[in-house]
Order: sequence, then structure tokens, then C-alpha cells
Amino acid sequence: MKYIRNIGMLILVTVLLGRCESIIEPEVFSETGPESLFNSLQGVEALLFGAYANAAAVGGNSAADALTAPETMTDIGFVTEGAIANWATNFQDWILDGSGSSLYSVYWNEPYQAIRNSNILLENVETANITDASKDLIRAEARFIRAWSYYNLYFKFGPVPLRTSTTQELQIPKASEEEILGFIETEFLEIMPNLPQPGAEKQYGRAHRGAAMGFLTKFYLNTKQWQKGAEMAQSIMDLGYYELYPEYFGLFQVANERNRELLWVRTAKADLGREANISIMNYAWPQAFASDPNTGLEFCDGCRNFATMLRFRDDFYLSFDPADERRSLILTEYINNSGELINLLPPGDNPRPFKYWPAGDFAGPAYGNDIPVIRYADILLARAEALNELNGPSQESIDLINRVRERAGIASLELGDFSSKEALRSAILVERGWEFWWEDQRRDDLIRHGEFIKRAQERGEPAREHQVRYPIPQFALDANPALEQNTGY
Amino acid sequence: MYVDLAKQRSLRKYPKALFLLTAWLIFGATALGQRTITGTVSAEDTEGGLPGVTVMVRGTNTGAATDFDGSYSLTVPDDGATLVFSYIGYRKVEVPVASQSVIDVTLEEDISALDEVVVIGYGTQVRREVTGSISSLDEGSFSAQANTNVDQMIQGKAAGVQVVQNSGEPGGGMSINIRGVGSINAGSSPLYVVDGLPINNSPAISQTGNETAATRSPRNPISFLNPEDIASIDILKDASATAIYGSRGANGVIIITTKQGSTGDLRINYSTHVGINRVHNRLDLLNAEQYREGINSLIDQGAGSEAERVTDISGAGTDWQDEIFRDRAMLYKHNLSFSWGNGATSYLATLNNTKEEGLVKNTAFNRFSGRFNLNHRTDKVNFGINTTLSYIKDNFVPNGFDVNLRGGAINAAKLYDPTLAVRNEQGNYVTTDFFDIDNPLAIITGNHISGNRYRYLGSAFLEYFIVPALSAKVNVGADANNEDKSVYKDRTTIIGNSLGGVASAYSATETNYLVEGTLNYRQDLGDHSIAGLLGITTQKFQRRFSSQDANNFTTDATLATNFGLADRSTLINGSSKATNSLLSYLGRINYKFLDRYLVTASYRIDGSSRFGEGNRFGYFPSASVGWLVDQEEFFTNNIFNTLKVRASWGKTGNQEIGNNQSISTFNTGSRTSYVLNDQFVTSLNPSRIANPNLKWETTEQVDIGVDFGVFNDRVSGSVAWYRKHTSDMLLNLPIPTSSGFGSQLVNIGSMRNSGFEFTVNTYNVTGTNFTWSSNLNLSTLTNEVLDLGGVPEILSGSLGAASDNVGIIRPGDPLLSFYGYEVTGVWQQNDDLNEITNNVNPGDLKFRDINGDGTINGDDRMILGNSFPDLSWGFSNSFSYKGLSLDILITGMEGVDMINGNLLEQYYPRSGIRVNRFAEPFLNRWTPDNPTNDQPSYLGLSQQGQSVNSLTVNDASYVKLQSVRLGYMVPKQLLRNVFRTAEVYVTGLNLLTLSDYQGFDPALNPNGSANFRIDWNGYPSATTFLVGLNLGF
Repeated sequence: MKYIRNIGMLILVTVLLGRCESIIEPEVFSETGPESLFNSLQGVEALLFGAYANAAAVGGNSAADALTAPETMTDIGFVTEGAIANWATNFQDWILDGSGSSLYSVYWNEPYQAIRNSNILLENVETANITDASKDLIRAEARFIRAWSYYNLYFKFGPVPLRTSTTQELQIPKASEEEILGFIETEFLEIMPNLPQPGAEKQYGRAHRGAAMGFLTKFYLNTKQWQKGAEMAQSIMDLGYYELYPEYFGLFQVANERNRELLWVRTAKADLGREANISIMNYAWPQAFASDPNTGLEFCDGCRNFATMLRFRDDFYLSFDPADERRSLILTEYINNSGELINLLPPGDNPRPFKYWPAGDFAGPAYGNDIPVIRYADILLARAEALNELNGPSQESIDLINRVRERAGIASLELGDFSSKEALRSAILVERGWEFWWEDQRRDDLIRHGEFIKRAQERGEPAREHQVRYPIPQFALDANPALEQNTGY
Repeated sequence: MYVDLAKQRSLRKYPKALFLLTAWLIFGATALGQRTITGTVSAEDTEGGLPGVTVMVRGTNTGAATDFDGSYSLTVPDDGATLVFSYIGYRKVEVPVASQSVIDVTLEEDISALDEVVVIGYGTQVRREVTGSISSLDEGSFSAQANTNVDQMIQGKAAGVQVVQNSGEPGGGMSINIRGVGSINAGSSPLYVVDGLPINNSPAISQTGNETAATRSPRNPISFLNPEDIASIDILKDASATAIYGSRGANGVIIITTKQGSTGDLRINYSTHVGINRVHNRLDLLNAEQYREGINSLIDQGAGSEAERVTDISGAGTDWQDEIFRDRAMLYKHNLSFSWGNGATSYLATLNNTKEEGLVKNTAFNRFSGRFNLNHRTDKVNFGINTTLSYIKDNFVPNGFDVNLRGGAINAAKLYDPTLAVRNEQGNYVTTDFFDIDNPLAIITGNHISGNRYRYLGSAFLEYFIVPALSAKVNVGADANNEDKSVYKDRTTIIGNSLGGVASAYSATETNYLVEGTLNYRQDLGDHSIAGLLGITTQKFQRRFSSQDANNFTTDATLATNFGLADRSTLINGSSKATNSLLSYLGRINYKFLDRYLVTASYRIDGSSRFGEGNRFGYFPSASVGWLVDQEEFFTNNIFNTLKVRASWGKTGNQEIGNNQSISTFNTGSRTSYVLNDQFVTSLNPSRIANPNLKWETTEQVDIGVDFGVFNDRVSGSVAWYRKHTSDMLLNLPIPTSSGFGSQLVNIGSMRNSGFEFTVNTYNVTGTNFTWSSNLNLSTLTNEVLDLGGVPEILSGSLGAASDNVGIIRPGDPLLSFYGYEVTGVWQQNDDLNEITNNVNPGDLKFRDINGDGTINGDDRMILGNSFPDLSWGFSNSFSYKGLSLDILITGMEGVDMINGNLLEQYYPRSGIRVNRFAEPFLNRWTPDNPTNDQPSYLGLSQQGQSVNSLTVNDASYVKLQSVRLGYMVPKQLLRNVFRTAEVYVTGLNLLTLSDYQGFDPALNPNGSANFRIDWNGYPSATTFLVGLNLGF
């Protein structure tokens, strides 16, 4: 009897303890597991939109900083004052130590986060509870984002670890030059047919065929694959969809977003959380800006004027034809809060970039201007450049360039003005400077033309040949023994 | 008389009822004797007889107790008998009877601290039998602060316990580290146990509002507890003491025991104080004239632009610190307590109101709390309820770790142009044209931030004695914390103006409940004495949180109380819920042999929902031994009267990581939105690389100590040495970010903390009228990161005024050492500036080129110091003369560094040239005429990237006159029969700091931790003067 009671007790205790264990089974609230995520199109798309957001990197000051820092390494401009040591100085002063700027993580981590989301999508979309058509589209978009991200990584750092699956080892070495270049090209080429025609994308801001073609054109140009570049540019022109926006001044304004010059933009919208915005105006306003006597622009009520100052180099400003409409977005005088007219004209390296014109959509420090990544003007000039590299100056090249100059309101070029490939090449480089200042094109252009390091050295900067590529960030090296620093660093 | 702490404590633990009971039992015993002895027992320090003294005939069961006059009567068998007089808190006296028939005895107080009762996990122990390291504080030894929270009561009082103030705000945050920091990414705060209930001591709302400075030092959650309700605080430091708390023991345990009702008629105590706070030390900034001259001279030398030249001074200019700080911030306290007991049942009820105005205008703390404790004890049953309810109203101004408009009031006052007036002719706040910061007063009055905290904490236990040696106890408890906070920026602020008012509202509910059952066994068997404990306990935590943001309100009038008046398109809502739970089994055995050999062993099995399946249970053993050398017969020593040697070993754990770390989930992540079709769309990202193998972080600790008392315990104390070795560290291991993740929480690496602790108490003078006693505690601390699982280093830590990563975690060095550049001087005019490729000018700082490559860059950084003090100490002295008492506490810290973020920011301003500067370095800056090597020219802004350097990482050692309290106990004859007791006192706090540090206070760490010190935009500490009154009815 006693034994039975003891055994009974034992059973009771075991049952009680067994029940107890369920107390520490984790419960998940407010977050979702992978199973439920792939149960609906909304879930799959949310993950895709996360990939877009990471690839675009337009949160906080990321976009403004990332657009500006490379510009300060070129003949265009530079920054002074404010918290520039946090992000710009490492680039502007050619320190390039891989650790002294917050931009290293923007440049390195954000694309890889987009790649991560893309890989998860590609591995799981087959099982998702959505239509086959949706699956095909999601796959194409995920691959677009991934290729775009590798494009961004390659032109900053050179070959980087090529991660195409979430099951790869964590520590992998850099891919070879051929692998990474091959990957970017093949991916864009393969997905082109699966992407919607420009204008037919489900929502503005999602991938379409025109964007993939635009990236390929730029890719061929910057890797000097002139024939392919010229052809791809031509195919874009053959789409018949794109055109130059009639006037340069309004091209970047919120009111004129979604115009047909824009092949690809990083979308933005102002909100206080600065989720997806461009904040470059905060740096661009000169001190105590009240109004611009030329355009009537007034300092928006409640806008922000950071201590950091963006400034053009005088030489660049003075290189413009006075009639050039592209100068209209450069501020050269203003009325300050005390009512005084302040002159920013040379000397003093003081003109200010007002390209991302502050009108229509702002919230505190955030502005909602979409940020152009590839414009049709770029495609035209790319074909012109490629044709020149292939066959020297030609009427077609001159005509292409003249379309851009015409829109800027300056005199057309004549074929006869260019006796050599080199002459036209440098004219194109100058033209691109006027057209694309502060659009994060100058560094790529100067590197392609072999002028990046040379011009910096001429300005007295301690630039060295290997600095055409950025160093692999220190945190990436620390975490990955398989990763080698770029040559020269 | 002198105040004997041990006695007071003992009396509290053993209510008089117990003596009466003993007396009754003794009277009840049959006395068969031949003659009767009578007499009176008195104590040397009190008038009249001492009631309740036990008088025993040695070697027999015969005894008596003294009555209310102190007289006794007792029958002894023969003349050879010896009477033993004993009374808790007094030294035992033995008197041979011989031929006497009247024996009067005067007892002397026993000042041995070894008889005090120490609260340990799940029980109590006599100090003499404790084999671990436990610091105990009771009412007499709490810091004489104007305590608004428990942490202040410990400050400077316990060796090995670092209490670091993070903010001088009323009710401001404090961080406690016990014996260093054992973890990199898991929490490092000790576990707080209030009346047997482990509480959640993290702030429920850490958000500060949209576009408002984020603070790293939120207000102290434990401030819900009324310090006057606290009877004792026991700090468990070594593993043998903490292992019984297993998974939550690694950071030490602070056990708080609240007061219970005392036996006797209803007693009413009223205490109050009123006082003023003033800023302890202000920043030494340029005045308007110095500023104008200085800024203009910088412009003359090419800095900034001509537009920034300082022209007029409005009036005499403005001292912005004068504007934002109150001259006199008032503080008040009222505390009323009712206590009653009849020997079996007792209760205590208290009401408290503590109100403190902050040093910064518009900040305040106001607490209302009530407590009811009930206790009932018979032979069979011991039953108790402890409950407290508190409400705190907080008023804030923006302040914290950020720059520009989000920097907050103190940041603004520090940087604002002293040549400006506060208001213009229209009566509006003047705003500078040169940087993006609100007028400091606009920050204070234009931000409306208030919070409410409601907290209920209750526990109840029932202990049933199955037999006298064995009891079963059930303990249940609940903790419910409800907080809300609303933030509104009105149109007098730049952002409020730009966005038509900006509002945020938060609400959080954190609850947990505890259920536990224990069996307690205690038996003395001849030379053997055994105590045992077995238990099972479970605790479940839940947190709910919701937030709302909106802007563009139709009116400022409704502040953040009516989101319906906001522009609907700006409304953002967020909400979350999370739970976690613990299930534990525990056991402990204490064994004592011959009253001198002590052995304790404990074991706890802890299960946590936070870890990976298969790793949820952790096992935490401990063992300790003690040897009471003074009890040995061979130990005949005229000097030592107490000597105990003890040693312990044990393992404890840490589970203070977030929830869901072991499983894969998706959440919105840092970028919650993307823009499609010009609308925000929701996006999701994977939250982490899950680690299904995640398990406990384990800390193994060895502790060796000696407790001693010499010269009849005139001098007593203890020395302890410990070494804590944390392994399987919960570490956010940096993984290749090409995975899309920055780190993965893993169990890897190890870290070591070790140190000596030394405590000594002395009774220097113990005269009848005059007494003087002292307490000195010293501790050393050495922290070393041993291993990071193959990662060579982790750069971490930020401050908005400098580039990221101001700290480094590297094997061989202390955790989060400051990492930057060593200043070797200043570039002079005749120097060859081409020695380095960086663009430098005369007047710029010269940094050591560590790798000698001719370029100063990130590779030239070195460790500049760390936040672990080599030595911290507290020295308190108590004097009493008749009714007067004087208590003085001096504390100090040696060999500790801090990033002086305020100094750094004025060298390398983020807001342009027109900010104000520290007077001393600026006025001694390098100029062609003053070719100093100590200060830069303030022109080399390109050196911002090297702003963390040996000039801005400062020695933060200090000696501080922490408190002086002068009290007067009104003599009984003056009290008539109205009052039982009356004391008046004046107290001064934080009166004087000796330090080379330039800033508000070297003891203040606004970075919100104890051992990573970054001083930036901190809320200054106060110097307090108060007068108080304690009355007993």
C-alpha cells in the first residue's frame, strides 16, 4: 500500500513537472515566422519591399551623405563645418582607412541586406501561396535588386564576396573579377524579359525592363565594354518610352517626379521618421538663408539649416557657359535673415548646390524628392561616349550630346570641332560634369577616364593610385578572415 | 550613548514577544531549589532596569526573566551554581552565586557584528555562519542621502558594489555593477529581490519622443520603492550566495527587505524634510565678451566665413546656464507610518510623498506611495503579506545623446551664443542664425513631456511548520507596472513650428507573477547542525507596448492628449507584445560541525524560454566552506576575538538578452517603410540570424575571505578576494555583414573580473557621552576580456559628437576601452608639415603615427584608458555627543577614465564655428603668439575624425564629500508625553568634489552604464541642503 502511494506520488510529481516544462516554451508575438510570411502575397511583397528599401538606402541622412562624399573627392565640390567628420572627411581628405566614416556601413551593409532579402525570397517563393505569375515577377524583382546591389558594391569596392544563397558559409572570400562582372551582367540580361515594360510596373518604384537596361548600359560603360554599351543604349532609345524632360530646372522637383527622363530613381517621401528621404537641402542652405532673389525661393517655414555646408569649387562653377540652364540650380546669392544680400560668387568656393529643389514635400529635415539614379541624358551621353571610343568622333555622337546641350540652352557642338577621339572624350567628360553634378556620377566618370586620382593630386590631395577603389571596411575584415583588403590599403 | 547598529538590527529581528515567550516558558518550568536569589539587571547605557533578560543557572534548565523593572527572582540548587545573564545585543555575563542572595548585574552591549541576521536567497542566516560574500546595510548604515531611490542608499557603502549616477535628474538613473561587468551583450545589472519577489528593473518606456533627444539614462525604475520602507539591503556578491538565483545571479543580487510592524502599541512615525538642490558645478564657458573676441579672432585666422563675425552683444549677453537651471530646486518629503503588533500579529502601514524639482527648469519627480505589510506568526504558521502601491509623476525636458535640434536643453545651453538675448522685442525666443538648435528656453518651455508610472508590487507567503524542524512555504507575488508618457513639441520650437506641433504618446504595461514552494529543514543534533532547503519556482513576465506619433495639429492647446486633432496622414501607430518565463528547481544544505566548521552547498536548475530548444535548462551549483578559527581551543589570542576564514566557488548564469533570439522571425527592422506610388508601404526584414543553440552565459566565481574582529570587536571587518570568470558569453558576434546581418548572438568568448574588497568598522571612542565610529570600504577591480571566439577586436560605442566606435573590445584589455589617438603636441610654425600626408596647419594637434606610415588614420588608434576604477572607496564617520550626531561620508574613485564629450564637442563643434566653448582651454588656445603644445588652435576642424584622443579622454578620478548629516535627538524630558521620539537634522549632500575633471561632475556617467563612461550632455548633479524632522508618537 505504501509503495503504491509512493509510486502514485512519483507519477503525480512527474506529471506536474512535465506540465511545468511547457511554461518555458517560448511564445512569439508581434513578429512573424517564415511559414506565415510566405502564406500571402502581402507577406512576400513586404519582404521584397524591405529589399528595395535596403538597396535604396534612403533612411536618415544616408542618401545625402552617400551622394555627397564621392563628390568631395572630385573636381566638383566639397563640404565644410558641422558633423562632417562622421561621414565625409574620410573621403574628402583621402584618408580612406575603412573605419572613419559612417558611410562604410551604408556602402557595404545596405546592399548586402538587400541581397539577403532577395536570396530569402528566391529560396522560398516557390512554396509561397501566390499565383505562378506573381512568383515569376517576384523572382525577377528579387534578382534585379540583387544585381543592382552588386553593381553598387562592385563600383565602390571592386570584387566582393558573392552571396547568392542564404546557406553559403558565413565566411567567404571575394569572388574573382570575372565572376562578379559575369554575375551582374547575366542577371540583368536574364531577368529583362521577365520584368514589365517601363510604366507597366505594378507600382512606381518597382523594377521594370528599362531600369535593368539602364543598369546594363552603365555597367558596360564603366567596364569599358563599348560595343555592348552602345547597343544597350540604343535598345533603350528604341523602346520609344524615354525622353529628356524639357527643362533642367524642374527636373528634380517633387512636382515633376515620374517624368520620362527617369529610368531609375530611389523613391523618397518626406516624413518625420525619415524612413525614405533626401536630406541634402539641410546641408545646402547657406547660413541664415532667408530667400533667393532670383527664383523667389524662401526658406520654408520650419525647414532646417544644418551647420554643414556644401560648396562648389570655383573652377567648376566658372567652367559653365553663363547661358547654361544647368547653372540655375546653383545658388550664387541670397538674402539672409538680417535682410542683407550675400554674394556667393567666386572667389571663395562658395556656390551652393540646390539641385534637389526644396518644394512641395518636406517634413522638418526630410525632403521627398526622388533621387535619380539613371536618367535618359545619361543613356544618350553613354552611347555618345561608347561610339567615340569605338570609332572616334561621329555625327551620331555629336547629335546625342547636342540633345543634352540643347535642353541646357547652350550652343550645339560641331563635329568639326573635334579632331580626335581624345578631344571628344574630354568634351564628354566636361559635359557630364555639368549635367550630373551632385548625382554621384562624377567619381565613376573620372575613374573611367583615368582622371580621378590625377585631378585630386593636382588639387594637392594625398591621393594614390589604388584609391580608385575604396578600402574594404574594417568591420568586414574583422568579421571575416577569408576576406582580403584591397590592394594598396 | 552610542548607537549600536548590530543591536538595533537584532532587536528588530527578534521581537520582544520572543523574549516574553521565553520568559514565560522558563517561569513555567518547575523549580526545585534550595534558596532564592533576587536582583536587578540594568544596562550600562540606559536608566532603570532592563526587562526581558534571560537569567539561567548554568548547566540546568532552570531560569527566569527579568520583569519590567529589570528585577528577577530565581531559585538555585546550591552555592556552586553560576548564573548566566543573556540578552540579545549584550555581552553574556556569568556570575558565580557563592553566598550572595542579591545579585545585581549591569550588562554591556555586545558590538559584535557577527550575530546580526543576514538575508540570503530564500532564507536568513546569522552573519557568523555566512560562508559567502554578502554586504549588509540597515537603517543605521544607509547613505544619508535625500534618498529618492534604493540605489542611492547603497552608494559608497558596500565594497565591490559600484553605484554610478547616470543623471542628476530627480529620480534619475543609476547603474549598479557588482564586482565588475561579466557580460558584453547580456545585461550587467544585478537582480533586485524585494521581499522574496525578484522584480523587473528595466524602464518600461525608454522612448523620448519624436525628434527629441534620446537619453541613455532613463529615470530609475526602482524609484517606485519608498526608501523609508526599507529595513535592510543585503547584497549578495559571491557565487555561493548568488547561485541560488541561478540564471539571474551572475551580476549579483540585491535583496531588499521592507520594514515590518513592531510589537507593542500603535506607533506612529512622521518624518519630513525640505531642502534645496543647486547645480553642483557648472560648465565654465566663455562669457559674451570673451566669446565675441574669440570667435572673431578665429574668423580673422580664416575659420568660418565673414558672415559669421560676431558684432553686437545684446545687453550684457546671456549666461544660458543661468537661464535653464533653477537657482533653488525644492525638494520635499513626507512620510507617515503606523506600526502595531501583539507578539503574534503585526502590521506596518506607510504613506509617502516625495517631491523633487529638477535642476533644469520644468523637470520634476513626484512620488506617492503606500505600503501595507502584515505578519502573523505562531508555532505552526508563519504568514505574511507585503504590498506596495506607488504613483510617480515625471516631468521631463529633452536631454540626451544627440546633436543639433535633438540635442536637448543642456546641449543647447552649452553651445548657445552668449551674445544673444533670450527674447527679441516682440517677446519671442531668439534663435541663432548659425546653427540648427532651438533657443535653450524654447526647448524647456516648448516641449511638454510628462509621464505617469503606476506600480503595484505584492507578495504573500504562508509557511507551515509540519514539525518544528520542518516547514513548507508557499510564496506568491505579482508585480504590475503601468507607464505612459506623452511628448508634445509646440509651435515655439523650430520643429514644432515646421510641422504644426509634433506629438508622441507611449504606453507600456509590464507584469510578472511568481509562484514558488519551498521546504525548509533545520535540526541541531549534538555537534551537528543541519539546515536544508528544497524548492520549485516559476516566474512569468509579460510586456505590452504601444506608441503613437503624429504632427500637424489644429491647435497646440490639447498637447499630446488628442490625436484626433492631428493630420491623419501623419499618424503612425506601433504596438508590441512579448512574454518570457522561467522555471526553476533549487536546493541548499548548510552544515555546521562543532560550531566552527561550516559547509554550504546549493544547486539550482533554471529553465528559460529565451534559449534554444534543448538548451533551455541551465545548472548552477555552488559550494562554500567556513572555519570559525576563534572557536578553536588552540586559538587563545588576546588580540583577535573573531576570526573566520571562508572560501566559496560557484556557477551563476545570465539570461538578460531579448526574447526570440533563438528563433527566426521577421519584423519591420530599422527601415520600416519604402515608397511606392509615392505612398509608404510596409516592409519586413528578417530580425536576425537565429541561433537555435543559444544557451546560458555562465560565470564561475571563486571567493576567499577573512572576517575578523580585534580588541573585543572594537575593530572588525573583512577582506575578500574574488575572481569571476565568464564563459560562453552571450555575445553579438560580428559576422560577415555580407550575410545581411551584422552579428549573431552566440555563446562564445570569455571575460574575467577580479578584485580585492576590504571593509573595516571601528569604534574609535565609545564613551558614555561621546562616541565615534568609522567605516572604510575599499575595492579594486580588474576587468579583462579574454577571448572573443577568434574575432580580433570589436569596435563599439558611440557618441554623436564624435565618429562612431569610441570603444574597443579586445582580448587582453578591459571591456570597451577608449580607442583613439594619442596627442603628442601641437604643430608649430617651424615644423615640417610634410612629415605626414594629412593636411595640417600650425596649431593643429599632432598625433602619434603609430604605424609610422606618414598618414594619421584609423590604424593609428590606441587604447587611451578605460572605465574601470582601479580603486573605489567610501569612508564614513559617525560621531555622537549626547543627543547630537554627526555623520560624514567621503567617497572616491581612482584610476578611471571618461570620454569628456562636452570638452570634445567644443574642440570639434558639430554645429559650426559660432558655438560657445569651454573658457579655460579656449582662452589658452594655440595662436602664433601663444605657441603652446597643450591646446590646439580651434581651427583644425579637419581633425574632427581624431576627436577621441588623449586630450578628450580624461582622468575622472575624484574625491567627494558625499554627505554630512548633523542630527539632534530631542531629550525625552522635553518631549513631554506628546512624542515618543523627536529628531531634527540638517544634511548637506555632494558638497565638494576634488578632481581635475572639466565638467559637471566626474562621478556622473550620462552614458547610462556603470562601466562605459561617456560624459556628454549629462544632466548635472546637485548639491543638496535639507532640514528634516523625525517624530514618533
